[in-house]
Amino acid sequence: MSYLIDEGKNASHLLMGNEAIVRGSLEAGINVAAGYPGTPSSEIIECFSQVAKERNLYVEWSTNEKVAVEVAAAASFAGLRSLCVMKQNGVNVASDFLLHLASSGTRGGMLLVTCDDPGALSSVNEGESRLFAQLLEIPLLEPGDFQEAKDIIPWAFALSEKIRNIVMVRSVTRLSHASGNVRFGPLPATAAKAEFHYSGPLLDPDTGPMIAMIVAAPEAQHGPQQEKMKRAAEIFETCPFNTYTGPAAPELLIVTSSACSLYSREAVSILGLTERVGILKLATTWPLPQRLLKKHLAAAPQILFVEEVAPTLEDHVKVVAAEAGAEIGGKIFFGKKSGHLPSLGELNPDLVLAALSRIFAVPYEGAPAAFSGAVKALAARYAPPRGMTFCPGCPHRASYWSINNAVKLDGRGGFVCGDIGCYVMGTMAAGFNTCKTLHAMGSASGIASGFGKLKQFGMGQPVMAVCGDSTFFHAAMPALANAIHQRSPFTLMLMDNRGTAMTGFQPHPGSPTNVLGDTVPALDMEKICRAMGAKVEVSDPFNLEKTRQKLNHLMEYADGAKVLILRRACALSPERRGKKDYEVTVDESRCRGEDCGCNRICTRIFGCPGLIWDGEKKVSRIDEIICVGCGVCADICPAGAIVRKEIA
Amino acid sequence: MSEVKLAKDPYNVIITGVGGQGNVLASRLLGGMLAKKGFIVTIGETFGASQRGGSVMSHLRISREVLASPQIPKGRADVIVSLEPAEALRVLALYGNPDTILLTNNHPIYPVGVIKGDMVYPPVAEMEAAVKEVLPAARFIAATARALALGNSILVNIIMLGALGRLNVVPFNREEFKEAIAARLAAGQLAINLQAFDAGYGMV
Amino acid sequence: MNNFGANKLAERVIQAELCSGCGACIDLCPYFRSYRGKTAYLFPCTREEGRCFAYCPKVEVDLDGISRFLFAKPYDGHPLGNWRSIHVARAGTRLKRQPFQSGGTVSALMYFALRSGCIRGAILTGRKGLLPVPQLVTRPAGVWRHSLSKYTAAPTLATLNRAVTAGHEALGVVATPCQATAVAQMRMNPLQKSPFQDPTALVIGLFCTWALDFRKFEAFLAERVPLQDIVKVDIPPPPASVLEVYLPGEKREFPLNEIRPLVPDTCGYCLDMTSEFADVSVGVLEGQPDLNTLIVRTQRGEEIVREAQRQEYLIIEDMPGENREHLEWAAGNKKQRGIRRCMETGRLNGEAGTACLRLTAEVTDRILEN
Ligand SMILES: Cc1cc2nc3c(=O)[nH]c(=O)nc-3n(C[C@H](O)[C@H](O)[C@H](O)COP(=O)(O)OP(=O)(O)OC[C@H]3O[C@@H](n4cnc5c(N)ncnc54)[C@H](O)[C@@H]3O)c2cc1C
Ligand code: SF4
Ligand code: SF4
Ligand code: SF4
Ligand code: SF4
Repeated sequence: MSYLIDEGKNASHLLMGNEAIVRGSLEAGINVAAGYPGTPSSEIIECFSQVAKERNLYVEWSTNEKVAVEVAAAASFAGLRSLCVMKQNGVNVASDFLLHLASSGTRGGMLLVTCDDPGALSSVNEGESRLFAQLLEIPLLEPGDFQEAKDIIPWAFALSEKIRNIVMVRSVTRLSHASGNVRFGPLPATAAKAEFHYSGPLLDPDTGPMIAMIVAAPEAQHGPQQEKMKRAAEIFETCPFNTYTGPAAPELLIVTSSACSLYSREAVSILGLTERVGILKLATTWPLPQRLLKKHLAAAPQILFVEEVAPTLEDHVKVVAAEAGAEIGGKIFFGKKSGHLPSLGELNPDLVLAALSRIFAVPYEGAPAAFSGAVKALAARYAPPRGMTFCPGCPHRASYWSINNAVKLDGRGGFVCGDIGCYVMGTMAAGFNTCKTLHAMGSASGIASGFGKLKQFGMGQPVMAVCGDSTFFHAAMPALANAIHQRSPFTLMLMDNRGTAMTGFQPHPGSPTNVLGDTVPALDMEKICRAMGAKVEVSDPFNLEKTRQKLNHLMEYADGAKVLILRRACALSPERRGKKDYEVTVDESRCRGEDCGCNRICTRIFGCPGLIWDGEKKVSRIDEIICVGCGVCADICPAGAIVRKEIA
Repeated sequence: MSEVKLAKDPYNVIITGVGGQGNVLASRLLGGMLAKKGFIVTIGETFGASQRGGSVMSHLRISREVLASPQIPKGRADVIVSLEPAEALRVLALYGNPDTILLTNNHPIYPVGVIKGDMVYPPVAEMEAAVKEVLPAARFIAATARALALGNSILVNIIMLGALGRLNVVPFNREEFKEAIAARLAAGQLAINLQAFDAGYGMV
Repeated sequence: MNNFGANKLAERVIQAELCSGCGACIDLCPYFRSYRGKTAYLFPCTREEGRCFAYCPKVEVDLDGISRFLFAKPYDGHPLGNWRSIHVARAGTRLKRQPFQSGGTVSALMYFALRSGCIRGAILTGRKGLLPVPQLVTRPAGVWRHSLSKYTAAPTLATLNRAVTAGHEALGVVATPCQATAVAQMRMNPLQKSPFQDPTALVIGLFCTWALDFRKFEAFLAERVPLQDIVKVDIPPPPASVLEVYLPGEKREFPLNEIRPLVPDTCGYCLDMTSEFADVSVGVLEGQPDLNTLIVRTQRGEEIVREAQRQEYLIIEDMPGENREHLEWAAGNKKQRGIRRCMETGRLNGEAGTACLRLTAEVTDRILEN
């Protein structure tokens, strides 16, 4: 039994922020959860799936984030409590439906949980989802620690049901992926009944059809939506998760939210400023609780905003201060705009320490400068930086090898549009710098579809795109449909590594089992592409020469969209992990090393971590601990020095 | 071992290593044991690109009083446990101070740049000597060699936990470890993990 | 000798579109490959010196050095290079009439050399469709399958490189002039590898005014004739000015001025019409499309020719004086055009690593005065 459904009295566990959100949902009696994988949000759906049977939940990894919100919305329409979860980029995908949903409203409590990634620790960007709350006109909550991450969820569900609209809960990497003690509350009985009522009058919140207005009558729906926001603002004035710590009349008021509140507290305490600085930690960051803010602003002459990533509190609280200017007087503001905190990247205690030490002119030093300086010098000498690369035995390295060769051999200046997944490293040396564009999920195919039509303007470069199996269903299919329909001659390399590898092998519509472990229909990408009208080839990326040939052939085949499915399970996938196909060794007597005739192409270019350049002996070697025995490098060695022996 | 008092509050421990070394398991085991004993624990993890051979770092904050932030301020690590020597040095440079207790495995995992021959990873013995000049109490132990002798390099993380136990700075003991690991792993793996723990305990 | 690495070769030759696709840099290592007539540089090689650069006939070619190495004489700019004797030739009576390009001298010599054991393998150029496909041939009968001229650049020397790596020795090579230059440079062991042994025993050079760009030529013909049916392509000697394409029961002619745009730029920099660095060189005899011109240049070439003649594999006659004069005039013209082009673009002498050719002012002047 999972500790997530521990029903012991006073039970307390060390939970990740994401787990706390799950426990909170369970305590709120959630029924349906849907999401699309993305770091740092992925654990939430996984945890739900682990307790789905016991708690009678329906949980799914949806095809993409928009579908996830739609699936969760259906549950809400039928009177259930539901949640949809995604990383910040996912909100962009879901935003079209979200905008309409916010307009029609919801029934059963419904939450949009977004996990932002300040600093883009594992993202393509550090986009900020909080701004969506404003755009969508929905309430936004930001828990400040692990206990709150659990406790705020039932409160958020209740709020959603009170105002009959979706409520957004925003976490960040340092909360989602950090752990802390969480005291559990009771779990409710699980006996929800779903029914969708639609026979009442249009716009009746309980019984009417759920329709986002189709005629120009803003007052009919936008009016009520704004009323909901007013109610939320009123409720927020007394939200128990907005807390203040510090003296009654601080010299400086820190206004903060989320993990930044922990950094602020730590920094104030380290500098011994607890009697001079107050911290207003807001959990309700949109709409803002005006009276609460006014009260605290009035008490302090200086204000410091500590938040990630965009200065949204900073901007909005300044408006509140301006509007209340006559009552509370002028203030001095510090934050991103004043340059006391950086306007990009994630924050940490040190950045807040630096800001405070500057404002209060108190010196601060983490460790003696002489010591840090000395160790930094040692690190520069003895600790070479760790670059990113594909795993040993990764099919993507092999795929990009062949793609690079095909493009160069073709010699017409062809290029590859990159997409989102582990294979983003196609833009780096790990993928031989093969990819020349990189944007959003599925965008490679759309951009390639566009490039393909530029022949009319004299562009003769062959166009290619990559996409993973999960990305294919997520967003590449519409782009492929477009290319086929418009006769755009590009080649899509569908890197099918049997799962959503980047985020930990979540299933997708092409998988034979779903997140609950049920057997489900696996959509056949090959048949789909053929049925859509593409010319399709399949290749095993470990067969380097075949793959290269097929790709060169497809590139020359001028007409319409072509798909090359590169099929081989990820090296970390359950089916391959721990299994060596070959015993691989380097025959040192044959190795050409740096000589003319090889110049260590295996270690210098191919770069599988299983191969090491021995600078003393001037030969390449296999690192037996790291090599997973895929045997691919034997095919790139020009001297036959890499020997593979099949393991029975 | 007798019950250890925290030398400071919060007490700051960093467990670091390279993706795939089982760093996260080690920090969760340790954090779990401490939380169970009533400490207020925060674990902050940086494992963004860890699957792909990147650096991994867990910050453990142990307190009787406050919930500390998931990031230790620079220069304030009390203990650094590293599963890989270069990572130990990297973390020491940012989070260490002259009183930091440094305990590291001495077996290198080469970064891509080194594998490719673009960079060098100097001999660990040389690094060890240099580190001891600035931090004489630093400990480099042959955890990988020991793990391989026990049959699996993946045991490095447990060996390092055993060694940490011996240092008597973080309040946990073998019994608590046994309970924690039993709750996490299949029954068949318990014995070998205890062996690894004991091996580590005997190495410092 | 100025030698550099692959990055320089890629920059100065391939990117500069001076590559003739000869294949000399290919298959020495994994970095250079040929695909559909073009040489591709797949990954950056960081070596400062390499055989790829040293073998390439399009960069830093030291004509004087090669001439001294092969003939123990300085390069003097004579239109036909260094030669011992010049003949009219054709395949001998011991051989059945085969589909030869003209007199069959090349195939006859290769056949004889293989049969007699003078060479133990021949690097010849056959074709698949229009694409020239080089091959190592070790059985004499294999020679016939590779006769006929492919008028596009071929990566013949890639196959030579592969054969050498595989340990083959005493090889015969049929080469165009740029290829023959590259082979000469290979034989000079530019990286001073030891042990080293000259891998060739006979280099037969072809006359060549230009070789077409394969991709352009294929695209040109694809629009005009069924490619798969082509039996033979020929460019009969002047005064004809056409390219002939033989199809079953039909011959199509295309005026040369429609073909010339398909000639790659690089041929305009070439000084050599008669494969001056081969052991023997063979072309079409003017006005006699079924006879060859044969230039004997080296001692080993002379010995094989004499023996082939003695055993009736080859028929040799004296070359009429007026033919020779005309040949010299044509070859001299190519030299002058080439050297002017090199000078105009700064590719004669110049900064290390950038020049096509290195020549003394004296020889340059002599070529231009001829
Ligand atoms: C690209 C090219 C341009 C030529 N231009 C002229 C010219 O301007 N004036 C002139 O007198 N002669 C020219 N020739 C030579 C001529 O076409 C005949 O090859 C030559 O006369 C020998 O005739 P043969 O009957 O002995 O040849 P065959 O006995 O038919 O043998 C032909 C030989 O040429 C080799 N070969 C064919 N194509 C190529 C190629 N692309 N690269 C390398 N080797 C090849 C084959 O391996 C074969 O061994 C040219 C040849 C080529 C390939
Ligand atoms: S590719 Fe082969 S020859 Fe070259 S360094 Fe690696 S093992 Fe040696
Ligand atoms: S066999 Fe070669 S490519 Fe495969 S994991 Fe081992 S070292 Fe890497
Ligand atoms: S021939 Fe030598 S120098 Fe040139 S690319 Fe190959 S290994 Fe590098
Ligand atoms: S050696 Fe031949 S194929 Fe290579 S770059 Fe030079 S001309 Fe081109």
